[in-house]
Amino acid sequence: MGSMFRSEEVALVQLFLPTAAAYPCVSQLGELGLVEFRDLNASVSAFQRRFVLDVRRCEELEKTFTFLQEEVRRAGLALPPPEGVLPAPPPRNLLRIQEETDRLAQELRDVRGNQQALRAQLHELQLHAAVLGQGHGPPVAATYTDGPSETSPLLQSLGDPHQDLRVNFVAGAVEPHKAAALERLLWRACRGFLIASFREAERPLEDPVTGEPATWMTFLISYWGEQIGQKIRKITDCFHCHVFPFPEQDDARRGVLQQLQQQSLELQEVLGETERFLSQVLGRVQRLLPPWQVQIRKMKAVYLALNQCSVSATHKCLIAEAWCATRDLPTLQQALQESSSEAGVSAVVHRIPCRDMPPTLIRTTRFTASFQGIVDAYGVGRYQEVNPAPYTIITFPFLFAVMFGDVGHGLLMFLFALAMVLAEDRPGVKMAQNEIWRTFFGGRYLLLLMGLFSIYTGFIYNECFSRATVIFPSGWSVAAMANQSGWSDTFLAEHPLLALDPNVTGVFLGPYPFGIDPVWSLAVNHLSFLNSFKMKMSVILGVTHMAFGVVLGVFNHVHFGQRHRLLLETLPELVFLLGLFGYLVFLVVYKWLRVSVAGAASAPSILIHFINMFLFSRSPTNRLLFPGQEVVQATLVVLALATVPVLLLGTPLFLRWQHRRRRRRHAGPQPVEDEDKTGLLDSPDAPAPGWGSDEEKAGCSGDQGEAKFVLSEVFMHQAIHTIEFCLGCISNTASYLRLWALSLAHAQLSEVLWAMVMRVGLRLGREMGAVAVVLVPVFAAFAVLTVAILLVMEGLSAFLHALRLHWVEFQNKFYSGTGYKLTPFTFTVEDE
Amino acid sequence: MLESAELYFNVDHGYLEGLVRGCKASLLTQQDYVNLVQCETLEDLKIHLQTTDYGNFLANETNPLTVSKIDTEMRKKLCREFEYFRNHSLDPLSTFFTYMTCSYMIDNVILLMNGALQKKSVKEILVKCHPLGRFTEMEAVNIAETPSDLFSAVLVETPLAPFFQDCMSENTLDELNIEILRNKLYKSYLEAFYKFCKNHGDVTAEIMCPILEFEADRRAFTITLNSFGTELSKGDRETLYPTCGKLYPEGLRLLAQAEDFEQMKMVADHYGVYKPLFEAVGDGSGGKSLEDVFYEHEVKMNVLAFSRQFHYGVFYAYTKLKEQEMRNIVWIAECISQRHRTKINSYIPIL
Repeated sequence: MGSMFRSEEVALVQLFLPTAAAYPCVSQLGELGLVEFRDLNASVSAFQRRFVLDVRRCEELEKTFTFLQEEVRRAGLALPPPEGVLPAPPPRNLLRIQEETDRLAQELRDVRGNQQALRAQLHELQLHAAVLGQGHGPPVAATYTDGPSETSPLLQSLGDPHQDLRVNFVAGAVEPHKAAALERLLWRACRGFLIASFREAERPLEDPVTGEPATWMTFLISYWGEQIGQKIRKITDCFHCHVFPFPEQDDARRGVLQQLQQQSLELQEVLGETERFLSQVLGRVQRLLPPWQVQIRKMKAVYLALNQCSVSATHKCLIAEAWCATRDLPTLQQALQESSSEAGVSAVVHRIPCRDMPPTLIRTTRFTASFQGIVDAYGVGRYQEVNPAPYTIITFPFLFAVMFGDVGHGLLMFLFALAMVLAEDRPGVKMAQNEIWRTFFGGRYLLLLMGLFSIYTGFIYNECFSRATVIFPSGWSVAAMANQSGWSDTFLAEHPLLALDPNVTGVFLGPYPFGIDPVWSLAVNHLSFLNSFKMKMSVILGVTHMAFGVVLGVFNHVHFGQRHRLLLETLPELVFLLGLFGYLVFLVVYKWLRVSVAGAASAPSILIHFINMFLFSRSPTNRLLFPGQEVVQATLVVLALATVPVLLLGTPLFLRWQHRRRRRRHAGPQPVEDEDKTGLLDSPDAPAPGWGSDEEKAGCSGDQGEAKFVLSEVFMHQAIHTIEFCLGCISNTASYLRLWALSLAHAQLSEVLWAMVMRVGLRLGREMGAVAVVLVPVFAAFAVLTVAILLVMEGLSAFLHALRLHWVEFQNKFYSGTGYKLTPFTFTVEDE
Repeated sequence: MLESAELYFNVDHGYLEGLVRGCKASLLTQQDYVNLVQCETLEDLKIHLQTTDYGNFLANETNPLTVSKIDTEMRKKLCREFEYFRNHSLDPLSTFFTYMTCSYMIDNVILLMNGALQKKSVKEILVKCHPLGRFTEMEAVNIAETPSDLFSAVLVETPLAPFFQDCMSENTLDELNIEILRNKLYKSYLEAFYKFCKNHGDVTAEIMCPILEFEADRRAFTITLNSFGTELSKGDRETLYPTCGKLYPEGLRLLAQAEDFEQMKMVADHYGVYKPLFEAVGDGSGGKSLEDVFYEHEVKMNVLAFSRQFHYGVFYAYTKLKEQEMRNIVWIAECISQRHRTKINSYIPIL
C-alpha cells in the first residue's frame, strides 16, 4: 500500500545484452513486463535499423497468417483462442514455422484454386444448361413473333439462292445489371440486323467467387451476315458474356442438355471430394494457426524492442536503456542472468544517472484501479508527486453520496455492485464485450463504495425512496402541544396548518439521535429546514476538503526539497483559506452550538456578519455572536489580505536570491562544494535511499540555475498561481454548493416520483377496491422510473459533479498531473 | 449572385469537404520525400510508405515488388477515396465529379482505340487504363470505325457524349485522326467544364476558373509544341486549342502561327503568368523541362485552392495533388529500381 501515496521510485538502467543472449533476454523481459525501453536510435529511420530483416520476415509470416485466417473465416469457421503459455519462439524456430506456414498456405491455395476452377466449370455448365433450357421454346417463338415481316419473306422467298443469308444464332448469358446496357449497345451497333431476346434464368446460380446467388440473364441473338456476327461477338466479349454454341435442332439441343446434366453431376461429385479435402486442410490451419500467431507477434515485438538498442563499440553486445522500478531491479537482474546463462556471457544491469523526469509507476490492485483511473483521467502525476488516489477512495464516494443520499437507491446500487464484485472471476462476465457494461464493470468497487456511502447519507437525510423511516421515537411531541394550548375540535377543523412551538415545555424533547427527525417529513417547512442544513453542510465539507488539499501540498514541498515553499506558499494559502472561510465554518458551528430555541427570535444572521466583516462595518440590528467578534474579524481580514503579497512575491524573490548566491559561489574558487553535483555523481554507484529526491532536487535547481533563470517568467507563473488561488477560494467554496443543489434535486425528484406514481396508484387501488391488480402496473412504472431516472440519470449526474469537485476544486490545490506513465514492454496484450 | 455558399454549403457538402481536407493533410511531407529518396531498394520504399498514410497498401502484393505494382495499388487507393467521395456527393458536386472523371475517360477511350489500331488485345490495354475513367461500354470502343460510329454506338450514353458535337466525321481512325479526336474531345470537355464552374459561381468559380484556364493554356502550348514537324496544318492546329484560357483569343492566334519553340516563347512573353514559367525552362542539358515547370505551377495553384473554404475546387485540387504525389513516388521508385540515382531529386515537391 505504501506505493499508493506517491509513485514508486523508478531508475534508468542500462542493460548490456550479449549479442547471443539478447533475444532470450528481451523475450523474458516481455513475459515479465518490468521495463520500458527507451529508443536509442530515434534518429535512425525504420528501415536502417539492425533487426529490420527479422521484423520483415515476421511481417511476411503475418501476411501469410492473414491469408490463412481469411480463408478460415471465409469457410465460416472460427479460430479457437490459443491455450497455454506460449513463449516467443527461439529464432531458429522461425524457419520451421515459416516453412510449415508456407506449405500450408500453398496447399490451401492449390485446393482452393482447384475448388474455384471446379466451381467455375460447374457454373459454366449450369449457365449453358440454363441457356439451352430456355432456348427450347420461348426464344425461338419470340423470333417468330418479333419479326415475322423480316424473317419470313427473306427465308421463304429467297431461301434457296441465298444460302449464306440464313439466320445465325448467338446464345449466352450475361450478368443481370449489364443486360440492359448490352441490349442497347447491340441495338445501336447493328440496328435492324439482329433480333435479341433476353430473359431471366429460371433459378439463381451461385457465383463461383463470392458464393452469392445471382439470377443471370440468358439471351439469344439471331442475326444475318458474317460482319454483324463479328461485331456481336466483340460486343459480347466486352461485356464478359458467356457465349455457348446453340444447336438449332430441338433434338440436338436436348441431347446436349442431357450430356450437360451428366457432366454437372460428375463435376459435383468431384467438387464434393475437393471440399472435403479443403475442410481437412482448414482443420489443420485452425489447430496450428492461433499459437503461431501469438508466437510470431511476440517475436516481432522482441525484434522491435531490440531495434531500439544501440550496438556497443566492439559489436559484442547490445546496449539498451530502460526505465525500471527500483523494487524490480533484483528480479530484473535475476531474469537476465537466467536467460543469458545459455550463452555463457551474462547480461549486466547497471544503473545510470539521468536528467529526464522518470515515468510514473503506481501499482494498483483490482480495488484501487478504478480510483487511480479517476485521478489518471485528469492527468498522470509527476514523478513521485503526492497521489490523490488513496484519499479519493473515501472522499469520492462520500461526496457522491452527499448528492445521492437515499437508503433505497443506495442499497440498490450497492447490491448491483456487490453482484458484479462476487461474479468478477467468472469468465463470461470478464469477457463481455459490451462497452457500456465494461465501463460499469470496471468501476464496480467504486460503485460498491458509492452505494454504501449513499445508504449512510440516506440515513442521515432519513430518506428511503423519499419516505422517512421512524427508527427512534421522534423528538417532537404533538400531544404535548395539543394539551398545552388546548386545541379544540373546531380549532383543528378551521386551521389546516398547526405550528409546534419548541418553547412550550414537553413539545421538543431533544435532538433525534441520528440524522433528521422523521417528523420533518410531515412539516410544510421541511424544505427550508433541510436547505439551511444542507447549505451549511456543503460549505463545511468544501472548506475542509480544500484545506486538506492545501495540506497535501506540504508533502510535495518536503519531498522535493523545496522547503521555502512551505513558508512562502502553503502557509499563506492556509491562512487565507482558513482565515476567511475557515472562520465562516467556525461561525456556523458556533451558532449551531450556542444559539438555542429560546433566543431564536433574535438570533444573529451569519450572512450579514460575514458581509460586514469585509466592509469593516456593523449593523445595529444584528446581535454579536460572541464578545470581541469585531476585533477578531478585522484581524482575520487584514491577515488574509496580507498573505496575498507574500504569496505573490515570496517565491520569485527567494528564487532570485538563491540564484544570485549560487552564481556568486560558482564564480568563487571552490566549485567542489556544489553538493547537488557531487550527489548526482555519487548516486549511480551507491543508490542511496534518498536518490529519487536528490535527483529531483538536482534536476530542479540545476535546471533553474543553469538553464537561464528568467525572473519575469517565474513572476508570471507565480502571479497566475496567486490569482487562481485567491479567486479560486471564493469560487470553489461556492462551487461546493452543488452538493446542496444536487442532493435537493435528488430528494425532490424521488419525492415527485412517489407522489405522482405510487401514491396515485395506492389511492386508485383503494377507490376501485382491487389494490393488487392496480398496483402491479403502477409499481412496475415506479420501479422502471426509479432505476432509469433516479439511479442511472441522477447517479451519472452526481458522479459527474463529484468528479468535477475532485479534479477542479481538490486537485488544483496540490496536484500538477504533468507526468507520464511507465508503459513496460510486455506481452500481456499479445496473450489476450 | 448572392454569397450564399457559406450558409448552405455545409448542409450538403460539409462532410465531404472535411474529409478531403483531412485527406490532403495526409499527403507526403518534405521529410517523407527526403526519407524516400534515401531508400536503397523498393522494399525499403515500401517500409517507409507504411509509416505514412498509405499504410500497408502493399501488404497483399506478392514478391517481387515492381514499380508498376506500386503504381497500380496507389491508383486503386486514390480510386477508392474518389469513389467514396462520389458516392456520398449531392447534385452539383456529383456533376462536378462526373466532369472530373471525363478527362480520364477520354484518355482511356483514346488508349483503347490506339490499342485496337495496333492490334493489341483489349485485356493488355485495360490494365493500363486509369481506374477513375472506367465505364462499362469502354471495352466496346474497338468495334467503331469512324468517330460518328464511335459516338452513336458506344459513347452516346456516357457523359462524354456532349463533347462529340465537333468531332463527328466519317474519317477512318488512323493515328493522326485519333490524336485529333483526343484533342477535340479535350477541348470541348475543358470548355464545358469551364462553363459549368463559371455558371456555378461563388468561390468555386473563383478557384476553379483559373485552374481550368491554366489547364487550357497548357494544352494549347503542348499541342503547339507537339505539332512542330508534323503534317498538321496551322489552321487545323488552331481548331484544337481550347478557347477558355487566358491565351484566347489573341494568344491562340499567335500560337497558331508559331513555327518553333522560340516563337512560342515570344507568345508566352506577352503574358505575365507564363513569362516566368518559360524563363524557368532550362536548355537541353540541365534544368527543368517545360512539362515539369507546368506541373510545378499546377501544384502551386492546387495547394492554394485549399486556402479558401466552401467550394468544390478542393476535390479537384486534392485529386490532382494526389496524382502528382503518385507521379513523384513512381519517379523515385523508378530511379531506385533502375539504380539511376542522379536524377532522383527531380520530383515535383508538393508544398
